[in-house]
Amino acid sequence: MSTSAATVRDASLPAHVLLRVFLRSLFLQASWNPKGMQNLGLAYAVYPALERLYPAGPAREEAVRRHLVFFNTHPYVAAAIVGGVVNHEQRIARGEESPDRVVAFKAALMGPLAALGDGFFWLSLKPAVGAVCATLVPLLGVWAVALFLVLYNLVHVLLRVRLYWLGLFLGDRLVEAVARVNLPTKGARLRAVAAASAGGLAAWLAVSFGAAAGGEGAPFLAAGCLALGIASYVLVTRRVPNYVVLYLAAGLACAAGAFL
Amino acid sequence: MSVGWTQVALAGLWGGVVAVERKAFLQAMLARPLVAATFMGGLLGDVASGLAVGMLLELFYLGTANLGAALPDNDTLVATGTSAAAATLTLATGAGSTPAIWSLSVLVFIGLGRVGRRMDRLMEGYSARLARVALSSAEKGNLQRAMRQNLWGIWPHFFLYGSVTAACALAGFFLEPLMVALPNRLVRGLAWAYPAMASVAAAIAAQGSHAKRAPLYAGLAAAVVTAVLVLLNRQGLP
Repeated sequence: MSTSAATVRDASLPAHVLLRVFLRSLFLQASWNPKGMQNLGLAYAVYPALERLYPAGPAREEAVRRHLVFFNTHPYVAAAIVGGVVNHEQRIARGEESPDRVVAFKAALMGPLAALGDGFFWLSLKPAVGAVCATLVPLLGVWAVALFLVLYNLVHVLLRVRLYWLGLFLGDRLVEAVARVNLPTKGARLRAVAAASAGGLAAWLAVSFGAAAGGEGAPFLAAGCLALGIASYVLVTRRVPNYVVLYLAAGLACAAGAFL
Repeated sequence: MSVGWTQVALAGLWGGVVAVERKAFLQAMLARPLVAATFMGGLLGDVASGLAVGMLLELFYLGTANLGAALPDNDTLVATGTSAAAATLTLATGAGSTPAIWSLSVLVFIGLGRVGRRMDRLMEGYSARLARVALSSAEKGNLQRAMRQNLWGIWPHFFLYGSVTAACALAGFFLEPLMVALPNRLVRGLAWAYPAMASVAAAIAAQGSHAKRAPLYAGLAAAVVTAVLVLLNRQGLP
């Protein structure tokens, strides 16, 4: 072990340092780069803890360097790893474990937690809240935007804080706690909500525009918009680029609207 | 045509802020198209355009995600640029916000998604340089300098995307003569292009929802909504 107990200053961290680490973890991706990915962000986040745990000099430099190696995970779920790193660093500073443990801890968790975070936040919660709130725009107007921010961030911020807390106090045992939250099942339900909301909104827009336009051709135009939606779904699933489908639909609607 | 430089500056400022929020800091979804575009509309005095553009683009980009090293199209740049242009075009025409303006703005500026992705890739090179500086500083024992490099990664996002958004707001003013010169039939056609594009965006959203039975859920919801609206219309209810 390179860090002897003799070099330790104070291996317990006050609340304000823990808070600083959490707030700095919000900048995890500020300098995301293809080689180290979030390495610089992680080192930046845990630096206040390292500064407190190790005296200036080789011990602190070594501690910083072990967090400048490759690191990449989901930015929210990273809070658990940041907390866990602080937990491990405290034990390393007390001489209770070797520095290899914190490196192994990061390497073991970043992949599985990235998959968990991507699946739940990026591919389930974000589309579901986005689709529901976009659907509510015709009813709520700008309040749908406020609802979007409240609904999403209620889950996001609470989970981020809780994961940091779990990492901080459970260290390696945080894996069991995260597994108990059962995010994949919740994600599947949210994805169904997103699909249903998108379908409902497509119908709402087509029919309500038809009604507002009036005239003999309006029902046909409304039905045409709905048919375009169905045709677009088929085209997109057959890998026709989204932009091509959008321009095609706009061109057709433009021609129909101009001549009907 | 007179250019509102205050609107151009505000558009640049908001475009820069949400570009930073998108990846470098927090990620509380201020950068999502629905939010970024509506706020942009509010800032430039045309919430209706921001909301309409934001809703359409939110659906169009619903399934995109920044997974690992893969870069999706930059939905935030499209949202801020398109809504800024729509708002300034509305302001310049003085005739109020219309679906024709929303359609024209989307059709002209949606390509910014690809442009933004290229810019994102370029900025990764800059961030890689910062990481190298941080490593060499840490090797030399200058830890404060090493840590500071992380925050230097933020500014290019702010300035670059802020400038592009400001340019879009400016372009909105220059589109006004074109909009005014369009024949009425084409304006009516453009107005119809909006619900058509929204239908397409919703279909793309359903496909991008990653749900196992997405067509079933989307189709059922569409059928229910259509039936309810037709019934309400027949009874003369709004």
